[in-house]
Amino acid sequence: MDRSYLAKRLLHALIIAWGVMTASFFLMRIGPHSPADKYLATLGAGHNVSQVTAAIESRYGVDRPLYEQYFNYINSLLHGDWGWSFSTSMPVSDLIKIHWAYSFQLIFLSSILAIILGISLGIFTAARKNTKADHIATFFSFAGISIPNFWLGMMLILIFSVKLGWFKTYYDTGLPMFSLSNLYALILPVITLATGMVAGYGRFVRSSMLENMNKDFVRTARAKGLPESVVLRKHVFRNALLPVVTIIMLDMSGIIFGGAYITEFIFGIPGLGWMSLKAVFSDDYSVVMAVTLIGAFVTLFFNLVADIAYTYLDPRIRYE
Amino acid sequence: MKLAAYYLERLKGNKTAIIGLAFIIFLVLTALIGPFFTVSPTQVNFSEKNLPPIGFSSEQSEYSAKVGGLVMTNMHGTWKHPLGTDGMGRDLLSQLISGARVSLLVGLLATGLAIVIGAIIGVSSAYFGGIADSILMRFTDIMITFPFLLLLILIVYMFGSSLALIILSIGLTGWTGTARLVRSETLSLRTRDFVIASKALGASDLRIIFYHLLPNTISSIIVLATLSIPGAILAEAALSFIGLGDPQVASWGNILNAGQNDLQAAWWIAVEPGIMLFFTVISFNFLGEGLRDAFDPKGDYN
Amino acid sequence: MSMCGKAAILSAGIGLSGCLERDSGNKTKDLTAGKLGGTFIEGASGADAETLNWILAADATSLGYISLAFDGLIAYDNKFNIVNRWLKNDIKTSDDGLSYTVTIRDDLEWSDGKPVTSDDFVYTMKNLMFADWMAYTYAGDWTEEVDGKSVFVEPVVENETTFTIKRKTVDPEFLYTVTDLMIYPKHIVSKYEGDVKAFTQAPELNNLSYTGNLGPYRYKEWIRNDKIVMERNPDYYLGKENGEPYFENYEVKIFGTSTARHAAMEAGDITNTGIDPEQVMKFKAIPSIKVFTVPTTGYRVLQYNMRDNGWEGLKDRKVRQAISMSISKEKIIQDILLGFGEPAFSFIPNVSPWYSEEGLSKIGVGALYDKTRAKELMKEAGYGIEKNGAIQVIDKKGDKIKLKFFTITGSKVHESMAYLIQKELGDIGIEVDIKFVPWETMLRKYYMNKVPGSDQPARNNNGPRAVSEEPWDLMYAGQSTDVLQPSGTEIFFVTDGGLNTSGYSNPEVDALFKKVHSKEALDVTARKKIYAQLSKIISEDQPLDFLAYPTANIAFKSNIRGIDPGISMNYNYQEWYFG
Repeated sequence: MDRSYLAKRLLHALIIAWGVMTASFFLMRIGPHSPADKYLATLGAGHNVSQVTAAIESRYGVDRPLYEQYFNYINSLLHGDWGWSFSTSMPVSDLIKIHWAYSFQLIFLSSILAIILGISLGIFTAARKNTKADHIATFFSFAGISIPNFWLGMMLILIFSVKLGWFKTYYDTGLPMFSLSNLYALILPVITLATGMVAGYGRFVRSSMLENMNKDFVRTARAKGLPESVVLRKHVFRNALLPVVTIIMLDMSGIIFGGAYITEFIFGIPGLGWMSLKAVFSDDYSVVMAVTLIGAFVTLFFNLVADIAYTYLDPRIRYE
Repeated sequence: MKLAAYYLERLKGNKTAIIGLAFIIFLVLTALIGPFFTVSPTQVNFSEKNLPPIGFSSEQSEYSAKVGGLVMTNMHGTWKHPLGTDGMGRDLLSQLISGARVSLLVGLLATGLAIVIGAIIGVSSAYFGGIADSILMRFTDIMITFPFLLLLILIVYMFGSSLALIILSIGLTGWTGTARLVRSETLSLRTRDFVIASKALGASDLRIIFYHLLPNTISSIIVLATLSIPGAILAEAALSFIGLGDPQVASWGNILNAGQNDLQAAWWIAVEPGIMLFFTVISFNFLGEGLRDAFDPKGDYN
Repeated sequence: MSMCGKAAILSAGIGLSGCLERDSGNKTKDLTAGKLGGTFIEGASGADAETLNWILAADATSLGYISLAFDGLIAYDNKFNIVNRWLKNDIKTSDDGLSYTVTIRDDLEWSDGKPVTSDDFVYTMKNLMFADWMAYTYAGDWTEEVDGKSVFVEPVVENETTFTIKRKTVDPEFLYTVTDLMIYPKHIVSKYEGDVKAFTQAPELNNLSYTGNLGPYRYKEWIRNDKIVMERNPDYYLGKENGEPYFENYEVKIFGTSTARHAAMEAGDITNTGIDPEQVMKFKAIPSIKVFTVPTTGYRVLQYNMRDNGWEGLKDRKVRQAISMSISKEKIIQDILLGFGEPAFSFIPNVSPWYSEEGLSKIGVGALYDKTRAKELMKEAGYGIEKNGAIQVIDKKGDKIKLKFFTITGSKVHESMAYLIQKELGDIGIEVDIKFVPWETMLRKYYMNKVPGSDQPARNNNGPRAVSEEPWDLMYAGQSTDVLQPSGTEIFFVTDGGLNTSGYSNPEVDALFKKVHSKEALDVTARKKIYAQLSKIISEDQPLDFLAYPTANIAFKSNIRGIDPGISMNYNYQEWYFG
């Protein structure tokens, strides 16, 4: 991997991160809302609404001119200060420190499961192309891709929690994080999040395998009399792996900020997605900014990793 | 025309795609003519609260003036409300039909908007190249990097939950895939002989873009559009599900949102719109994959 | 305010109070014998608290959490008797009604062992609550009108444990403001004085690490939007004799859906929670759970827009009466609240000591739920014509009357009410167009108003000529009232009331509310008479249709002991234990 290429990519990533930050900063502040809103409804006689609004906005530093707030924000970001969350009364960095783990465990477990199952499914169906098993598996992959995960989660709760009583209807934060009971509690959320991923990865691995199956080097290997399982494993799969790794990496941020968001919402898991949703509803700018930025960084990071993986796994690719 | 017939012929061979298409046609027809045959989705009847669908029965609490308190009644589904009713006694069948209208409207309009924006950005980026390309592609990168759902939630929360705004914001945020696709297709077309020739003949940029470049990407665009419709439908449903849907319409997401609080008393409220969503999404996915295979000259991998 | 009504129903309620009732029976000498232990988990829904720094709190949830660590001067029992907590003696009101003398216990301590003194109270008022830099939201409650100017009352330190609050004008109901007084430790807070940012972010204030022996529980852990855990305070000032509180931990757990909350209660994961009416039968049948049905302080209303951008007919009392007369309160209670509610006729609920039946117009029930009479009233007001022996309700141009109805989105009760009202009014020939809007939109576009073309900043009541940004006619909302001090509700009814968004104005009502705050009302019987008169006038005038007072159903694990069910059942929650 060329160092100057890496530097270029990093610079590129920084520009994009800045763009995301700026866009979300201004987007949030052109809206009609103000953190003073919640006070306004309770103000009775004798209150001067505009005076109180001004005081509350100054309490949270949102009374300054927009450009000044913007530069202040960048300045404090550069000093590692993510700001103060006024809907939870704590520094945003503390908030993230407490809540990231809930998101991480969900995403980590789901991804591991999805990668293992998805790749197995892909190989299985590719090896049995156009058999009944393949058709059935393909149908289920389509079903897995198409099922809305918020509905899936709700149905799992309905069947396994409400009707059968096997699981709780909510996630219990009282469980120690590294314990079997916590793992058990995460079963339904992980299924909710991973189903779409398994199906998607399975489809992708399958088509990627099939694409390689007709390649010359595979035919040669077969002609040499190698057993089909060896051909599949050593030649087809190894070559199909590259796009698979890429797609998984690129998919990651979509998972974190699409599926995980909703999964946390349904199961009441106090992860970053759930936090930021609550923050949006309380006009808590700094939390929303922080989560957006983290999201952007995660996306950029995985894009970069995907790029590097590409060059690493495929020696033919070299970047100038 | 001949080409279209050829593709249609190829599509016919694909069973799942035909099933998908059939369901979509069914859905469109239901959405169009259904409202003439069902009661209004907002018609409330408190004496028919939480009626289960036909073939099911369910224990419900009711206030009885005779007893002066609650009594448990075993409710059975009736043909008057074949899919049951919700907690206000509103007919679920007519709500689902109304939801079909909303979903199709969102799917088609938002995707249409996204495709138009994406195609314009993609084709201009590739055709003009240089600085324009860099700026447009960096802009696309920023949009892609933005956490999509969070952005949607933010916009809809800020500016109010109306269906028009929801469609607009899904369209305005969902164009990046199209832009990249059209750009890469155009890049390879740009150097083809017929483009170079018409350029040499003095054709204007706009003419080249609209007569030569875009039409040649149309098959990819159709496939992408078909496969993007479910995304748009699901985005609206997800927004409604978390409580940001247009409260004035009965959309599937809105019904689900209400249903999640009634899982114990009335499971069908949450089950039915989800089934509709699932079938709609899978149909578009089947059709989209079928179209992709039909358009793909290399033949199929299936 | 709409939110308050909702909150009152949903949260089983950590009391805003909590006190030992000294004279209640069954006391054992051996302190905590057999009672100590266990975790009390309250199941809640909705938004989490925003801050434990009480002066900044705008939501009831925050104040609820704080009260776990922080008793306050007094508590009210279910019959609204005052139970002293931090107070040593009852608050003394001088005969002229101008000064209030407060004496606190001498065994109250901050966490660092320093005694709580009257100086802390006076400092909190003068330097924090009344200070400009703080912009305390409820500072207005501590002002009085003197020579046309609004000035703060004057707190004075008398000795270590006694202080006096002096006024220049009489207001008998100021007593209730005094009893709500909270406090900060002067020696800790003074270093943040004047710096609102530092004050807002001060760690000691945000994690309640100063509360000493002032409440039954202490802050332990708070996972935002999930749960707050408070631990037993072994030093609790009321626990010296009997060792209370008895729970090792007191936890409030927030659930995203009522499905999850009900299921958790059913499974025994939580100790108590509010139950939806539909679920009451089911829970009553479970042996390990008991359900209490208790009154609440919330009430449901239909507001009429009497401002210039509402339908002109609503300015006419007969029209308002006609509309109210067509909406059955019984139907609302039976169909929507499933029997868990009482019809409402006035801003004073029947659980209030100030409630009076005398002269009350009970519109919407019995003989006064009468659609024929309603149509006649409409005709008398000029909005109906006789046709084939029946009255057809039409507007002055001869067209059908169409009213724009608004309520907030996302609540089944609100939606049901909208449709029920639509149906009822449809019966007398008035068409109702329903719109559901988010709370913020409601606030900005329909509540806040200003005189068109003026440069007034928008507020909830900008005078009789002001109108909201968007026109509306009817609005359904939940409100909550102060049962003990109903005059707090005047902000809805007096001409210049801060929340008089409907533009109601009746000089008689204005005068009577003024009377409640005058010397004349110092005498309790006299005050009761004034309130009765107010109730009567308002119930006739129908500035809004009082629909119902909902009752709440609260489920508890049946092995919980010490509960005294009622409107403020948690006044003695530190005495509860698992049996």
